[in-house]
Amino acid sequence: MNDMTRPDFDKPRVVGQRTPRIDGEFKLTGRAGYTGELHVDGMLYGYPVPATIANGVLESLDLDAARAMPGVVDIFHHGHFEALHRSPNSMAHGDMVNEVRLPFEDERIYYHGQYVALVVAETFEQARAAAQRVVARYREERGAVVSLLQTEAEGTLQESAGSTRGDPEAAFGGAEVKVDSTYHIAAESHLQMEMHATLAEWRDAGKRLVVHESTQGVFFQRNAMARVFGLAQENLEVISHYIGSGFGNKLFMWPHSVATAVAARMIGRPVKVVLPRQQDMTSGGNRPASRQRIRLGADRSGKLTSVIHDSTTETSLVHQYVDTCGSATPSFYACDNVSTSQRVLEVNHGTPCPMRAPGEVSGIFALETAMDELAVALEMDPVELRLKNNAEQDPASGLPWSSKHLDECLTSAAKRFGWEQRNPAIGSMRDGDEIIGYGMASCTWSAGRQPCEARVELRADGSLFAACGTQDIGTGTYTIVAQAVAELTGAELSRIEVKLGETSLPAGPLSGGSMATATVLPAVAAAARDALDAIKEVAVGSGGAFEGSDPDSLAAQAGGLTDGERRVSFEEILETSKLSSVNGQGSAAPGDERSEYAFRSFGAHFVEVRIDPEISRVRVTRVVSSIDIGRAINPPTARNQVEGGIVMGVGMGLLEKLDYDPRDARLINANVADYIVPTHADAPEIDVELLDYPDFKHNEFGGRGVGEIGLTGVASAIANAIYHATGKRHRDLPITIEALLASS
Amino acid sequence: MRTFAYSRADSVDHAAHRTMPDTAFVAGGTTLLDLIKLDVLKPENVVDINALPLKRVERLNDGRLKIGALVTNTDLAHHPEVKSHYPVLSEALLAGASTQLRNMATTAGNVMQRTRCPYYRDPAAKCNRREPGSGCDAMDGINRMHAVLGGSDACIAVHPSDMCVGIAAIGATLTLQGPDGEREVDFADFHRLPGDTPHIEHDLADGELITAITLDAPLENAGSHYLKLRDRASYEFALASCAAQLVLDGDTIREARLALGGVATKPWRCSDAEAALVGQTADKTSFERAADIALKDAQAREHNGYKIPLARQAIVRALRNAARGDKPASETQESQA
Amino acid sequence: MDDSVHSRPRVPETLGTQTLNFTLNGEPRTLEVAPNAVLLDVLREQLGLGGTKKGCDHGQCGACTVHVDGQAMNSCLRLAVMCEGQQVTTVEGLARDGELHPVQQNFLECDAYQCGYCTPGQMMSATALLNDERIGTDDASVKEAMSGNICRCGAYKNIVEAIQRSRAQLGYDATRKEGAA
Repeated sequence: MNDMTRPDFDKPRVVGQRTPRIDGEFKLTGRAGYTGELHVDGMLYGYPVPATIANGVLESLDLDAARAMPGVVDIFHHGHFEALHRSPNSMAHGDMVNEVRLPFEDERIYYHGQYVALVVAETFEQARAAAQRVVARYREERGAVVSLLQTEAEGTLQESAGSTRGDPEAAFGGAEVKVDSTYHIAAESHLQMEMHATLAEWRDAGKRLVVHESTQGVFFQRNAMARVFGLAQENLEVISHYIGSGFGNKLFMWPHSVATAVAARMIGRPVKVVLPRQQDMTSGGNRPASRQRIRLGADRSGKLTSVIHDSTTETSLVHQYVDTCGSATPSFYACDNVSTSQRVLEVNHGTPCPMRAPGEVSGIFALETAMDELAVALEMDPVELRLKNNAEQDPASGLPWSSKHLDECLTSAAKRFGWEQRNPAIGSMRDGDEIIGYGMASCTWSAGRQPCEARVELRADGSLFAACGTQDIGTGTYTIVAQAVAELTGAELSRIEVKLGETSLPAGPLSGGSMATATVLPAVAAAARDALDAIKEVAVGSGGAFEGSDPDSLAAQAGGLTDGERRVSFEEILETSKLSSVNGQGSAAPGDERSEYAFRSFGAHFVEVRIDPEISRVRVTRVVSSIDIGRAINPPTARNQVEGGIVMGVGMGLLEKLDYDPRDARLINANVADYIVPTHADAPEIDVELLDYPDFKHNEFGGRGVGEIGLTGVASAIANAIYHATGKRHRDLPITIEALLASS
Repeated sequence: MRTFAYSRADSVDHAAHRTMPDTAFVAGGTTLLDLIKLDVLKPENVVDINALPLKRVERLNDGRLKIGALVTNTDLAHHPEVKSHYPVLSEALLAGASTQLRNMATTAGNVMQRTRCPYYRDPAAKCNRREPGSGCDAMDGINRMHAVLGGSDACIAVHPSDMCVGIAAIGATLTLQGPDGEREVDFADFHRLPGDTPHIEHDLADGELITAITLDAPLENAGSHYLKLRDRASYEFALASCAAQLVLDGDTIREARLALGGVATKPWRCSDAEAALVGQTADKTSFERAADIALKDAQAREHNGYKIPLARQAIVRALRNAARGDKPASETQESQA
Repeated sequence: MDDSVHSRPRVPETLGTQTLNFTLNGEPRTLEVAPNAVLLDVLREQLGLGGTKKGCDHGQCGACTVHVDGQAMNSCLRLAVMCEGQQVTTVEGLARDGELHPVQQNFLECDAYQCGYCTPGQMMSATALLNDERIGTDDASVKEAMSGNICRCGAYKNIVEAIQRSRAQLGYDATRKEGAA
């Protein structure tokens, strides 16, 4: 008897199988409703007015011309706004925000793009036209801090973000072979395709607020808004069914959401604001620039004896954001003497925030480039150096890994890539005008898990319904929830409806940190089991389809219950007992395993670059990766995440840089033409292998999450490949044409 | 985006008599609407000229090719006459923008394309081109994308067109229709150097309309190449580009045409370098010498100094490929890009 | 997961609207539009056709790609009034009688998307490309021709696969003509 309620997750039926997205048809036909295209009756359009300076005071706003424009309903600003309170900004209490300062809170200008007004009009065209007629007068002040990359200032040490084991300074001092290098990474933009968007509607005479937001965390936004508006959480609803991705900048609430909700309440009509791209880039988050110094010490055999990783990143003047670069470093390699430190420096930029693999992707660029430098110094193959220092248990916590196969990732990817054909001599591999460079780097991301609740209904019409207040930001959460329900109930996927992205649903996690899969699926499984218990109770009860049977003898199979040879479908069971549905609730949370094991994914990227030195052209032509993420719940969507991370890594390595004017800290490339990201033509040939070692210590499904890891290490592998081709060590990102020319 | 009155012109004459101030003609709209949205261009009247009969491409009896102002970049790039007789123009067109933009953009509109200088595009910045006398924030700002040739103390903004670089290396005449009738202007004289008056970008009077561009007769038996160097592989403006045509007699250069893009304030014909190439052996030495001549007056600001060696590389490689008459696959692909 | 567009917006009562007659997804339409309204905003805000996306509003990302008389164009840089008498096709016009267009079906099967926001634009460029004999059929030509459509999720590999699969299924002879619904 195969009881699906206790599935054999070593041989799942649906989980781990290629499953086309269940929301795919909505996305492919244009019917998926992203926030910016929603409409409600009586809706107005808001258009923010951004500050054109980065440091100073707003002296006056001349609104007369704008007010006289057709269709203008109201203009909000410091002198015309509701009195509100800030959010406590607590991760633990679920009300963290991306910028604690409220819109129009004071008249000081802290960054270029900071909102100085919000124009609300009947149509989008009218709102935009009027916003351009608002005349703001500023007293600009000198002394804007333009960028971490343009100052010697060290910033403030963050004690809680560093760690030390052993005596790394002494070990470095006595090391036989040393690397001591400093790395700089320019600030990056998330450039998610859908700009931040809010549609706010007050109901019940201003007592109840419904907000549609393009967000990676409906519950965080609800909680924060409740604090800001002094509303009971029950009187707030945040909805986000489709999200044009976020990569971290939609995790927490931004000021535009508050301004939109205030405008809607003060006017008494719903208001929609979609940030224009320029404001999305100035004021909707960025990956802060970083400066990192790495010191590695090793013995002649290549064994690491010391790792010292000191980082500084930017934050804004209105919010403290710490992009901890060294968080993976203590766990990366077996080494007795390791320290990390983290500083932050306040700059006149819009507030930075998490961006895909926050902190670690920057840190791993530095660490894995330093490892390549060490391999060169040792005259050792870089793959061998990594295998030699592979940590068999987590050196940071001393705990055994739940599951780790970095060594297999390294050897498997090296083989598929053809690493053995690499001639280590610099510039030795040529093809016509081009020099071919091979480089590699390891990659990693922690495997976290959060508490979660979910609900599953079995319905008399034969459908199943699963609900969780998490989001699908494009990673495929809708589909894996349906797969989990199908796995446990045996029902067909086409019969399963999934609802996500509403605060009226059971509390679900942020879609971030590669945690959603491991967090949500166990809760969904618990809810499905609870629903099956409920239907068994019905079935064995008086007048039920299996009246008098022992519920323990019933098993879920193919969307029904079986007892021996007899099978009755869920709908028939419910019909028989005159019920419309049964409901199951479930919750799941990480447990004692977190103190017994260390959880982290690892992998390896191998990169081929082709450099045409006579025209200073570098292109990434081939990437071969092996990644161990436990089990991929839906292999195509998981692989897609890694492939997308690799493409983003090409951008980080070669293209992406927010340009702040050195005189006044204004962001001058806040558009999609001047901030360049990879196009189709830049995408290399990509071969991603996902190892299949289910991590059942992490959760019963064996999956560890996959959103971040693909990006980590890519930029380093590119830089290492360029070194192999040219002999020039690039420690600053992006690696521009100027940098290539300077090295030729 | 500010409001404006919209109307359609149904004849060239009709269009050319729209002499009211603050009138902009719209064809593809790819530059105009972009800049109206940014509040950089502020027309009171927008006249749609798409209905005008300016979509023909015809070979004239003297061998020249007359291109109607409204021929789209896509259609021109793929036109059999262009592909067979002016491949350098076809390559340049396909190196520009994206498929969608090339489907919209027109030949005359591309000639009228505005600079991509970020300070020009930002009404809060100082820009002599946008607002005469206001100053130039690019001069000491982030000028990585800016010109090293043809700049002045008032402006160093790059002319961003790829098509125009191809045309510069071919030679052409513009036909203009105005309230006072039709006139012709040499393409080389149409775009102005910024000098003290960067806001005067071209030789087009109020109410005047470009109706056609007539390419000089093709160089017979020329090898050619358009090479565009940029950060990413597609959909980006040039950091440096070069259009080259060479006619060889054995190894000896009989005729040469050379123009640069991405590095100059207007489509940049390199006549001195062309002259220096004629009679020389087509080899790296002569190509490098030509590049040195083409760039001898180049002046860099803080962030654009790299463009001088980069343009030198573009010239040498484009000449080499023009001389070969064939192109390595990897370059062909991206130069189409 | 449901389609959550609540209601059609009303036609704005702006000053100085102009009448626009055009064919949208095979249906003749007459609307009053503001002269400064671009096709993209008219589709999204006035007609409630949210499938065409706004990603940059300046012709820099391709999310707004539609077909105008069969050609892929950026609807953010085209005044709605310029479409007088033209045939406009949006992503909502790709599927016929509830059946996905082969390009849509292949996007589904190849997982040629993640967040789905650039996807309508990618598919509109893809369908135009498959009808355009001037564009090469090899992967490199497809990638170059598709480079006006940014996918920040980076699903490029799968998008190209979906296009090439569609080509194999459609063939030039079987390709459907624009606006012939």
